[in-house]
Amino acid sequence: MILTGVFLAVIGLGLVGWFAARARARLLYTGRGSMHSMPNYHGWHMALWIIVPALIAWAAWSAIMPGLVDSVVMADPAAASLPPDAMHRDAIMAEARTLAANPNAPVFNAEAQTIAEPLRAAQTRYGLIGALIIAIVAFAGGAFGFTRIRPDFRARTHVERAVLGLLLLASLMAILTTFGIVASLLFEAGMFFKDVSPIAFLTGTHWSPGNAIGTDIDDNFGAVPLFWGTIYIGAIIAMIVAIPLGLMSAIFLTQYASHRVRRWVKPILEILAGIPTVVYGYFAALTVAPIIRDFGATLGMANPSTESALAAGLVMGVMIIPFVSSMADDALAAVPRSMSDGSLALGATRSETIKKVLLPAALPGIVAGVMLAISRAIGETMIVVMAAGAAARLSANPFASMTTVTYQIVQMLTGDQEFNSPKTLSAFALGLVLFIVTLVLNIIALRVVKKFREAYD
Amino acid sequence: MTETKLTARNVDVYYGPKKAIDNVSIDIDNGIVTAFIGPSGCGKSTFLRSLNRMNDTIADARVTGEILLDGEDIYAASMDPVALRARVGMVFQKPNPFPKSIYENVAYGPRIHGLAASKADMDAIVESALTKAGLWEEVKDRLSDAGTALSGGQQQRLCIARAIAVSPEVILMDEPCSALDPIATAKIEELIDELKENYAIVIVTHSMQQAARVSQRTAFFHLGNLVEYGETSEIFTNPREVKTKDYITGRYG
Amino acid sequence: MTNPHWQSDAAAKRISRRNAAERRFKLLGLGAIVLSLSFLALLLFIMLKNGLGGLDWSFLSGTDSTDPDTAGVWGATKGSLLTMFVTLLLSFPMGVLAAIYLEEFAPKNRWIDLVEVSINNLAAVPSIIFGLLGLAVFINTLDMPRSSPLVGGLTLALMTMPVIVISGRNAIKAVPPSIRDAALAVGASKVQTVFHHVLPLALPGILTGTIIGMARALGETAPLLMIGMRAFVVTPPGGVTDPSSVLPMQIFLWSDEIDTGFVQNTSAAIIVLLVFLLAMNGLAIYLRNKFEVRW
Repeated sequence: MILTGVFLAVIGLGLVGWFAARARARLLYTGRGSMHSMPNYHGWHMALWIIVPALIAWAAWSAIMPGLVDSVVMADPAAASLPPDAMHRDAIMAEARTLAANPNAPVFNAEAQTIAEPLRAAQTRYGLIGALIIAIVAFAGGAFGFTRIRPDFRARTHVERAVLGLLLLASLMAILTTFGIVASLLFEAGMFFKDVSPIAFLTGTHWSPGNAIGTDIDDNFGAVPLFWGTIYIGAIIAMIVAIPLGLMSAIFLTQYASHRVRRWVKPILEILAGIPTVVYGYFAALTVAPIIRDFGATLGMANPSTESALAAGLVMGVMIIPFVSSMADDALAAVPRSMSDGSLALGATRSETIKKVLLPAALPGIVAGVMLAISRAIGETMIVVMAAGAAARLSANPFASMTTVTYQIVQMLTGDQEFNSPKTLSAFALGLVLFIVTLVLNIIALRVVKKFREAYD
Repeated sequence: MTETKLTARNVDVYYGPKKAIDNVSIDIDNGIVTAFIGPSGCGKSTFLRSLNRMNDTIADARVTGEILLDGEDIYAASMDPVALRARVGMVFQKPNPFPKSIYENVAYGPRIHGLAASKADMDAIVESALTKAGLWEEVKDRLSDAGTALSGGQQQRLCIARAIAVSPEVILMDEPCSALDPIATAKIEELIDELKENYAIVIVTHSMQQAARVSQRTAFFHLGNLVEYGETSEIFTNPREVKTKDYITGRYG
Repeated sequence: MTNPHWQSDAAAKRISRRNAAERRFKLLGLGAIVLSLSFLALLLFIMLKNGLGGLDWSFLSGTDSTDPDTAGVWGATKGSLLTMFVTLLLSFPMGVLAAIYLEEFAPKNRWIDLVEVSINNLAAVPSIIFGLLGLAVFINTLDMPRSSPLVGGLTLALMTMPVIVISGRNAIKAVPPSIRDAALAVGASKVQTVFHHVLPLALPGILTGTIIGMARALGETAPLLMIGMRAFVVTPPGGVTDPSSVLPMQIFLWSDEIDTGFVQNTSAAIIVLLVFLLAMNGLAIYLRNKFEVRW
């Protein structure tokens, strides 16, 4: 609580510094050419000197303070009554922290009540110490900045360098995120692979984490049925729907439709891509799945299930249509008009031109688009969670319920398991596989698209 | 003696509300080369594209008046643009071979029109077209190479071969040498001269020297109007119109 | 002379056959469009049919409940708003600054290539992976409060940032170099040129991209499922650290209820969510049309 206030105070102090430095620089300004930088830049320079070091101190203190507070509380006589079991103790500490912030919060462990008071005291003490340190840093920075306000001081250059640093930092966020994904997936999946052999995981055909105990653990984490379900639903059924419909839509819109029709229909088609996946999932479960079950029954299927690979795949395919269509649209548009002119001038019909000249020429772009579409379909979660089912089976029957990688990730991580069991950790191993596969698909597809564009530039 | 192949009567071409060609009437004869010249934007290419209905492919283009091919109205409902374009071939400003092999580029037209009964037939058509286009000797050993891998001049001759392969009666050429170097240009001009025996050739060019070199008749277009049309030698030595004279003497262009 | 081939019966037949194929192909294309659009129409029709009856003030102002008649969406809506607030606060400045750097200042080297590859890939990484990241980093490592708009917003911000960077770069790229030359020629520094001239001109494009990215984030469910934003929340969250749900999550939770009364609630919540998305996309289109400059 105190630290939040300190944060705001630092920002406020920076603002004050800005005005002070600007006013000081204005006094020095005696006319054109008398100063290197405009007064505003002196203001920014000083504000940066106040805020940046102080915020670094603030972040550092925020990181170490909880540890200090905890160790003080543990040393307190009131903590003597805490159970030795680390997990139990952590739970009590967490409750005490809630209590310290809000005395009326409900508590389950009576011990939390006893240590809440020393905890609050320690928090206040260390909070004040931190505030003092941060204040010293801020004022020292400000003082340094203020002494540098001189006519020949290149404040603008310094400020601009800081701005560039900020820009660089922002763009590094992308690498940091990628790194975070890779590191967290590798770390948690690594823990999983300590218990389950990677080979059993990647090649086993039996998936029932619920039964996994003791020595037969390897036999229950065979993910092949999950991979199959993912491919069957996302890369086969969905694509059987999305590729012809998306491609033909793109061909109609780019080659046949009048300008007016295209201007209206294209955005409407794109609405399909903007509908949240949870809505598709609900639509699949509520409307499509029962129709397919009944259809399966009329085909003579014995006990067709409500959840089916076909329902999930069909709806997913519909969701992907605009994606395929816009990729195909781009690919067709990239083929120079002179190509189709050449064919039409020989007396080819539109459709002959499209089939024999345009599509072959646009093929790399279209294939890349389909790869991106598959990457999107296999990573899609809500539709399969709501319509595909939990049964891990290796079957080619589209009316059967089937499970996917994403479904199992959700299944393993929702519910009340303890965190470090192989069952929950398996979600990260599945996530790792999913990440690698989509990454490879994306990189190849983006390369192909780039090469393809360059070929016709 | 020449005979009239194409006749245009009071042709107007519009792009949306804008009139690009205004009341043009012209007779184009068989067995000779007719050149369309004029400053850029004068409508010569637009008019050329209306002769094989390539303007149909532009969304808001509209042609009025009459264009007759051997006395048949090419804009009549009974005239199929597909058949028309097989009879009136076209070569474009920038060589535009398909991204296929040399052989497939030439075979494409005959194949869609069903002109070859067998593989041997097709081979014969391809060889004859490439020979007429003066390209056979250069490519006969690499017919399966990509057409796009040829040099610019070779690509343009490939496009001419592609047009010839469907045995057209008229060949329209839209500034066919503007993207080529002088040596390649000379080769194409030589080729045009040889081809004129069997076809009516119309060439749009911005180079008056080229028009003078290759054509027997010249039409001068200005701002969508046909200003003057006559024997090339007449137009270049003794133009009737002041505008024509100003253009060919380089006053504007 | 006219080539006799074209007068033959065979040629005429062949042409009419080819023209029939042409018509069939065109019809196929039209059919594809009509089929795709009818899916959309069917989906909307079913949601409207099931949900319109449930849309009233008590539904819009209520919170979650086990009784379908009293359950409402305000709690989830507020959760969504708080989450979006956190997402916007983080992803917009980060995304814009990164876009400026990459487009205007970045040197050509391997590090920058790596940044570009990362951004393009992140934009295509399945959203559930971001959920795993959020769970592992924000909750398990940094001990942030589970189920809170803070963690949800942070997770979605990481997901949205690449979208903003990509659209931001396109918008900045569209500003013609002559503007930069003009500013540099009157003695502005590179940083001044970018912040005084390029950025204001690119802003409408950046905003359009941001809104589209935010609309996507608003509809996301999977990553939030990972960080536990599926709490049954009876009181609307008071701040970004309170346990909370979001609109799409509410839809998901209700869709699982056995009580048939929740069918109406689910559809009504979907209508509410779609109205939000429609408004955002409408705003994006308006901005694009109003401020788009053709150079």
